[in-house]
Amino acid sequence: MNRFRIKIGGASGGGLLSTGEIIIRALRDMGFYAVADREYPSVIKGGHACFTINISDKPVRALSEKVDVLMAMDALSMEKYIDGLKDGGVFVHGHGRVVGVKEVLASAAGRGVLVVGHDARVIAENAGGNVLMKNVVLVGMLWKAMGLDYKFIEDEVKRKFASKPRLLAIDLECLKAGYDAAEQVLSLPFSGGAAGADMIMMDGNHAIALGGIHAGCRAYYAYPMSPSSSILTHMANYADATGMLVKQVEDEISVVNMTLGSMAMGTRALCATSGGGYDLMTETVSLAGIIECPLVVVIAQRPGPATGLPTWTCQSDLHLAVYAAHGEFPRAVIAVSDAEDAFELTQHALNIAEKFQSPVTVLTEKLIAESLWSIKPFKLGTVPIERGLVEDASELAALVSEDRYRITSAGLSKRWNPGACDAYYHANSDEHLEDGSLTEDAEPARLMIAKRMKKLKLIEEALPEPVVYGEAAGADISFVGWGSTKNTILDIIDIYTEKGIKVNYLHYSYIFPLKLEVARKFFADNSRVCLVEGNYQGQLGMMLEAALGVKFADRLLKWDGRPFFLEDLEKFIEKNNG
Amino acid sequence: MLAKSAEFLKYETDKVITWCSNCGNYGIQNALVRALVLEGYSQRDVLMCFDIGCSGNGADKVNAYTLHGLHGRVISLAAGAAVANQRMKVIAFAGDGATFSEGVNHLVHGVRNDYPMIFVHHNNENYGLTIGQASSTTRLGAKMNGAPDGVVIEPINTLQFILSLDPSFVARGFSGDVEQMTEIFQAALHHKGFAYVEILQACPTYNKVTPDAWYAERVKDVSVLPDYDKHDIWAARHLVQDMSDDIYTGILYENPAKRDFMSLQKSREGIDTQLVDEVKPFDISRLL
Repeated sequence: MNRFRIKIGGASGGGLLSTGEIIIRALRDMGFYAVADREYPSVIKGGHACFTINISDKPVRALSEKVDVLMAMDALSMEKYIDGLKDGGVFVHGHGRVVGVKEVLASAAGRGVLVVGHDARVIAENAGGNVLMKNVVLVGMLWKAMGLDYKFIEDEVKRKFASKPRLLAIDLECLKAGYDAAEQVLSLPFSGGAAGADMIMMDGNHAIALGGIHAGCRAYYAYPMSPSSSILTHMANYADATGMLVKQVEDEISVVNMTLGSMAMGTRALCATSGGGYDLMTETVSLAGIIECPLVVVIAQRPGPATGLPTWTCQSDLHLAVYAAHGEFPRAVIAVSDAEDAFELTQHALNIAEKFQSPVTVLTEKLIAESLWSIKPFKLGTVPIERGLVEDASELAALVSEDRYRITSAGLSKRWNPGACDAYYHANSDEHLEDGSLTEDAEPARLMIAKRMKKLKLIEEALPEPVVYGEAAGADISFVGWGSTKNTILDIIDIYTEKGIKVNYLHYSYIFPLKLEVARKFFADNSRVCLVEGNYQGQLGMMLEAALGVKFADRLLKWDGRPFFLEDLEKFIEKNNG
Repeated sequence: MLAKSAEFLKYETDKVITWCSNCGNYGIQNALVRALVLEGYSQRDVLMCFDIGCSGNGADKVNAYTLHGLHGRVISLAAGAAVANQRMKVIAFAGDGATFSEGVNHLVHGVRNDYPMIFVHHNNENYGLTIGQASSTTRLGAKMNGAPDGVVIEPINTLQFILSLDPSFVARGFSGDVEQMTEIFQAALHHKGFAYVEILQACPTYNKVTPDAWYAERVKDVSVLPDYDKHDIWAARHLVQDMSDDIYTGILYENPAKRDFMSLQKSREGIDTQLVDEVKPFDISRLL
């Protein structure tokens, strides 16, 4: 499988993100499949940060840890990221003086690294720019070093600075000066064009926002918390065009109560946070459970406990989503893996919450939230809105208050909006009778709790089974996982298929209630089934082993805040096949 | 009038009421329903939202759409409901604990945001349903459950606090005066933004320090002050400073210039429908 890997390192807040985006968009324009992620510390200025891009002539979903080209925007990032550059790779830097970076350059030379280094500051100033424009000089140098067609990078720089025509002219001078100053030291081993011209760049949080909007979500409430915050940014930027109410409120408790209040009144609302914010929300998740009101909360995971690693990734809040909040009530937990299914699963989450009058948690990860993928434009209208509401006038007129929490054999009662008809009801956080009136009597309480819990079975029946990727049976090595892990393993399946080693993967999008049929068969049909999860305990693994009575042959777990790179899986497979 | 009586009776429940005899909640609920009927609100036009405690136990003691939430969170819950459908009048009720302890952050931002709702603080100077602990409004020295030697800190001056937040409507009633409470609620129903209503509420079981008679001697309708200007926030702040001798009731402050929350939302300009009317697929290709 063809893959080319580029890392751009720089100071956090030093224009790294916009530089990375110009480069990946230009590569997208050339028709490459592309994926990118950024790593940065929880500070606004200072600290090391990097933006890593992998491209291919075939769909590419996850990142490699090693890179073919490193572009360093400052001296600190040279030291920090040089070890990630492969032997014989290309190192692009803009330092005029080698003092202070001498050792880095010497050790790189010892590994056969080709260096493209010119004083970007001097080049920028000679081209009429200032020191801040050395980034765009470096981009020009990088482009030339990789032997890429200048037109594409020029167009993206033009697009980026279109609103600042005076700056644009200077930026283009600097870009050209950087391009002209550098030497072409390599040619890409494959050409662009395969991905087609209509690809868009999309990150997971953007996709969640668009999925919510597409599904008729009319209110979004938020309190900023990494890595969920950009959902608020997107929703707010779209508010004028959509007419949505987008509101930053005082805390996560208010966020979830306003979301629930809006849902209880009968619109569609959405909210997102990270694990710590969800901790604050859990009492209200329990409230949604007892008043049987739909609620969708997105948890964008970052490593805890407490403040943990605020800008890094993990999959450690699965049990939080499945088990947190007091009392017993039905719920669903869904985990997204990439931009495409973030868009689709957000729509399903709203449908499931409304149809089953229950809270639904959508899990994403920092890695998904901020990774950029080149994808085809979203398919619209594939998930029709299903509200499970009584809306027909004659049906509404026939309702009585007791219909709202009627004890039915399947567990589901009718739901209608406050004010929709004369049949008022009490949405009561106290245990209640069929019209919502408080009761503390044993038998009615027993029946009402059992009625609600029956919905768990309904949800389970409605949820799709996990999906097997690769051949269903007889694999040399098999994996089970959820979330972003899918991206790494799908790339791995492609890589190992070429090597003649059979890898397959069972992926859970709908995690709770836990679906078991396909998993049972997967264990029966494959001899070496391994768990792969971004947490310490193997949280999905614990649930599956308990439910299926199986044992995973081995476990690949990672809890250092870093994603699963291709190399992590490669090492694991080699160990298991050796 | 007969028709109005019939409307009033529709709200009346036949359930067993669980408040103590002589509890102020009877008068408050009575006045509220009277105001609703007098202003032409049917059972389908109102969503009543309840916090936790004795006031919250009224959640199913009125025949209307009600939403009974969590302790301290009723303002947020009600605000979320209110903004979703402004055809419905949303009224939230909470006690001392919710308003000035557990949920005081939501109170601050509810007032600041001027959400389109009425909020009623049942100020009975204690935690009734948990059997008589001190609240933020319990008087200095009062011997309470959990404070046998008496409360050692001064109570919050509730309205001084509210007035510091630039409210749009502030009123105070007394649970012994149903007629005045009715008038207050009627005015609150006409208010577009966040109508803050404090009711000084008798708690015959646990509040022995300021019983009904204590208040009855001290409350004065603000209308007795001929020169009082309810649009002057400093006049209001001066007036509410006294919590012990002359306790003024009625509509104490109104700011007609303050724009309510929804009217400030640029994204909602020119839209006549409500959020509840708008749940349908949105073509996102227009956004990208």
